[in-house]
Amino acid sequence: MKRKRYAIVFDTKKCLNCKACTVACKFENYVPVGDDSYRLWVTEMPLEGRFPVLRQEFRPSQCQHCENAPCEKVCPTGATFRTAEGVVLIDYDKCILCKACMAACPYDARFVSKKHDAVEKCTFCMHRVSEGREPACVETCPVRVREFGDLNDPDSTVSRLLNQRAYYQLKPEKNTRPRLFYLK
Amino acid sequence: MKENKKISRRKFLGLSAGAVAGLAFSPSIPTLFAASKKTYDYSILPAGKREYIASNCAMCVNKCGIIAEVVNGRLHKLNPNPEHIKSRGMLCAKGNAGAALPYSPDRLKTPLLRTGERGEGKWKEISWDEAFKYIAKNLADLKQKYENRSTVAFASTEGFQEEFYYYLVNSFGSLNTVRHTTLCLASNIQGWSSVFGVFPDADLLNAEYVIMLGADRAQSLITPDSVNFQRYKPEGQKLIVIDPRFTVTASKADRWYPIKPRTDQGFVLAMINVIIKEGLYNRQFVESYTHGFKDLEKMVQDYTPQWAEKKCEIPAAEIVKTAREFAAHAPRSVIYPGRRSSFYSHEVYVRRTFAILAAICGCWDTKGGVVPRSSIKLNTPEVSFPFFMQTRDRVDKESTDLLKDVVPSSVMCPMIGTGLPEDSCSFLSERDGSWLTFREAVLNDTPYPVKGFFCFKQNPMQSVPNTTKTIAMLKKMDFICVIDMQMSDTAWYADIVLPHTSYLEGWDPATGISGINPLVEFRQPVIKPLFDTKTMFEISGGIIREMLNIPSLWDDIEPDDLKNFKEDVVEGILNRPIQEYIKTQVSNYPGALEKLMNNGFFTVESKKPTYGATRTPGFRFKTKTGKIEILNERYKEFGLFPLPKYCEPKNFVQKSGTYRFLVGRTAWNTQTTTQNIPYLWEIEKENAVWINPGEAGKLGIVSGDYVWIKSRVGKQRIKALVTEKIRPDCVFYSNGWGRRSPWLSRVYKSGASEAEIIEDVLDSISGGTCLHETFVSITKA
Repeated sequence: MKRKRYAIVFDTKKCLNCKACTVACKFENYVPVGDDSYRLWVTEMPLEGRFPVLRQEFRPSQCQHCENAPCEKVCPTGATFRTAEGVVLIDYDKCILCKACMAACPYDARFVSKKHDAVEKCTFCMHRVSEGREPACVETCPVRVREFGDLNDPDSTVSRLLNQRAYYQLKPEKNTRPRLFYLK
Repeated sequence: MKENKKISRRKFLGLSAGAVAGLAFSPSIPTLFAASKKTYDYSILPAGKREYIASNCAMCVNKCGIIAEVVNGRLHKLNPNPEHIKSRGMLCAKGNAGAALPYSPDRLKTPLLRTGERGEGKWKEISWDEAFKYIAKNLADLKQKYENRSTVAFASTEGFQEEFYYYLVNSFGSLNTVRHTTLCLASNIQGWSSVFGVFPDADLLNAEYVIMLGADRAQSLITPDSVNFQRYKPEGQKLIVIDPRFTVTASKADRWYPIKPRTDQGFVLAMINVIIKEGLYNRQFVESYTHGFKDLEKMVQDYTPQWAEKKCEIPAAEIVKTAREFAAHAPRSVIYPGRRSSFYSHEVYVRRTFAILAAICGCWDTKGGVVPRSSIKLNTPEVSFPFFMQTRDRVDKESTDLLKDVVPSSVMCPMIGTGLPEDSCSFLSERDGSWLTFREAVLNDTPYPVKGFFCFKQNPMQSVPNTTKTIAMLKKMDFICVIDMQMSDTAWYADIVLPHTSYLEGWDPATGISGINPLVEFRQPVIKPLFDTKTMFEISGGIIREMLNIPSLWDDIEPDDLKNFKEDVVEGILNRPIQEYIKTQVSNYPGALEKLMNNGFFTVESKKPTYGATRTPGFRFKTKTGKIEILNERYKEFGLFPLPKYCEPKNFVQKSGTYRFLVGRTAWNTQTTTQNIPYLWEIEKENAVWINPGEAGKLGIVSGDYVWIKSRVGKQRIKALVTEKIRPDCVFYSNGWGRRSPWLSRVYKSGASEAEIIEDVLDSISGGTCLHETFVSITKA
C-alpha cells in the first residue's frame, strides 16, 4: 500500500468567519482558553474597494505541515519531527522551549503551551485521523471550507480538488512546500 | 515548579543521549517512542472509558445534532452529528462552546433566595424543598390578594422544556404569558401568513436566484439555511443581498445594495411594478390561486423604479435589473423570509410585500421557491387543566389608550395614513403576547395590576428595549422568580432564582421541528448532573405538588376538575419519570425511540419534500377567501391597508449628527446567553460600534476610541470601529453586551447594551418590537 501524504485544501470563498473551527480545535486539543493561543485561526482579509463597492474574504489557516519545514531544521533536540505521512509533530517531552522553531516558522503557527510546557501547534488531529475520523476543524465547519485527505490517492477529495481547480499556497518564496492548499 | 521540571528534563536529555534505546521500553516515558516515528502514540485523551452519545444542541434556537464525546464521565467535546438532516453535519462556535457550559464556575448551582434589596446581590442558598414551598406560598398570597390569577405573569423563551413551564402556568391559571416572539419574528410570521396563510421556508437547495433583505445568514446562523446557502449552493445560483451593512452574507453576494434603512418595502414594490408592467408575472398562477391582483396592479402604478431610487438610494436601473432577473428565474426564485424581522413599525407590510412578490411570480410551493413547512405529529398526551374562575384576560389584549406611548405616530412622528392601529394590536398571539404592550400595561396597572413575575430562560432586562422601563416594571412586582442556568441580568433583580439543569445533563421531551424536511428531536443526558439543579419538568412538578398542599389555591374550580387534574397531570405525568412521557410521545412511530437514543432524531419517510400539495385546484389557503390574499380581506375589516401601501413617516428628516441605530448578531453569540462563556468571550471581549469613515472623520473618531452613544432613553459607552462596511446614515453594534449582572464575571459592564438605548416602538399589527426605529448621537468619550 502506498504511503499516505496528508493535506488540507481550503475553499476560503465559502468561509463565514463563524469561528466554529477555532473553538472546536480548542476543545479537541485541550488548547488553553483566554490567553489568545490558537492552533488555527481565521484572518479577516483587508476590506477592498470603497463604499459601496466592497470585497472581503476570510482566510482560515494553521500549521502548513511543510515538506521542507524550517521548524524541523532548527530544532536542536529533534522535538519537531515529520511522520511518515508528512505530518509535522512535536514531541513535547523533548522540547526545551528554546523557541527557535517559533522564530523560524514563516506562518506564525506555533505558540508556547502552558499545558504541555512546550511549543505546540496543529497536529492535523492525528489522534482522530489514526482512528479514521476527520480533524475537528474539518468536521465542524458549517460550509465545509476545509477538505482533509491523502494526496497519494488520486480519488481523494483533496486530489480531485487540486486537479480540477486553480490553487495557491502561502509564502511560496520561502520554499517550504506546504501541505495546505488554497483554492482560487 | 514548571521551570524546574523543564530544567530537569533538559538535563536528562543531555545525559541520556546514548541511553535512549534502553529507555524506550519504559512505559513511563512513552513519547520516547517518537524517535522511531512509526510508533508515535497520537492519543491525547486520558486512558479509560470513551463514549459517544447522541443528543441535540440548545445553545440557540436551531437545535442542531450533536454527538457528545465523553471520557470517563467527563465531557471532552461536542461533535456534530453527520447524519442530522437539519444541521447537516456541522456544529458552530456556540455549539462547540456548549461543552464548557456544565463546568462553568459562573453557573447557578443551587436555589438562591434574596436577602438584601433587589439588585443588591445578597443571596442565601436554600434547598429545593424550601424553594418550592416559598414559591407556592407566594402564588397563594398573590391569588388571595388580587383575586385574579392573571396577576402573575409568565415570561419564557422557546426550548424543549418550555412545554413543562406551561404546566406550571396552566396549573396556576394565568393568561398572561409573554414569549420571545414579539422581540424577533412576529411581524415576519404575520406578514407572510397574511398572504399565504402560513409562514414558509426558502428552498435554497433548489433556487436559482435568491434575494436576502436584512438577513445575515453567514453570521446569524440558522440551520439548514446557513449551511445550504454556501456549502450546497447549486451551480450558478445568484445571491442578491440588500442591507445597510456590508455583512459577511453581503461579502458572499453577487451584488450588494446598501439600501437606505426603512425603505426595503419600496425596493420590492418597484420590483412588483416592473414585473407587472412588463408582463413578467405568472399569469396562470395568479389567476388560479390569488385574490386581489387587479387592485395590486393599480396600487403599484406609482411605485416606479425612479420613485424607489429616491427612497432607497439604489439606482433605478439596478432595481429594474433585479426585477427582471427574479422573474426570469421564477419559480426558482426566492425572496427570503428569514427569521428576525423586529425592525420597523410597518414591518408587517414589508413582509406582506415580500410575500406578494413571491405570489405573483408563482414562486410558491414549488422546487426552488418558498415552500410551506411540514411537520411530524407526535402522540403527546393531551392534558386538561382546571378551569379557574378567578382568571382575567391578557393585559395586553384589551383595547386601551396606553398604546399611545409606544406606537410610532406619537413616538417618532406622524405617519401618512398610517395603516397602523393605535388602540390595540390587531393580531396578538394568545400565547406569545406583545412584550412592549404587556410592559406598558403593567406599568399603568391597566386594566388590572400584575404583581407576580416568573421568567424562564428569558432575559427581558437585556432583550426588551428601554431598560429603564423594564426596571420600573420589575419594581412593580410583589414577587419575582427566575429560572435559568446563569445569573442573568433579570435573575439579578429576582427574589428567588432556581438553577436549571443544562441541556447536557437532563432529558428533554421529544419535539417536532417543522421545515421542508421535518424531524423529531429530543435530548438525553450525556453526563451526570454536576450540581443540585433541576429541569423545568422537575421544577413544575415540585411547585405544583406544594401548591396542592394549599387549599386556597384550588377554591375557584369544580372539585371534579381538581380530581382529574391530580390524576392526569400530577400522577399521570409529573410524578412519573420523563422517559415514560417521551415513550408515549413517539409511540406512533415504530423504532422511533431507538432512533432517538442512537441518533438524537428521527424522520418519517412520508414527510420527504413533495412540493405542490397546495397547488391543486380547490385547495383552501388559511385566509378568509381561501385564496392567496394579495388583497387581505381581514385587514380591510380591521381598518388596516388591505394592500401593502408604501409606509413612511410624514415629513421626516433625519437630523444631522444623528444616526439610525441598527442591531444584529455575530456567529459566536446567541442573544444575551453566551457572551460569558470563555471560549466565545475569547473571540470578542466587548462589542464595538460600526461608524462610516466620513462620519467618524467629522466626529474626530478613529477605531479603538471610546464613544458615548446616546438616544432619548439612554446612553452607553462603547469602542468605535470605523469601517466602510456601513452607510453614513446609520451605526451598528452586536447584541448582548453591557451587562448588569456581576455574576457574568467576564462581561459585566463590558461593551454596550442595545436594550438600554433602543426606544420602545411598537409594530401594532403583530405586537412586535421595532429595534431599528431609534436615532442616536455619538460623541467621543
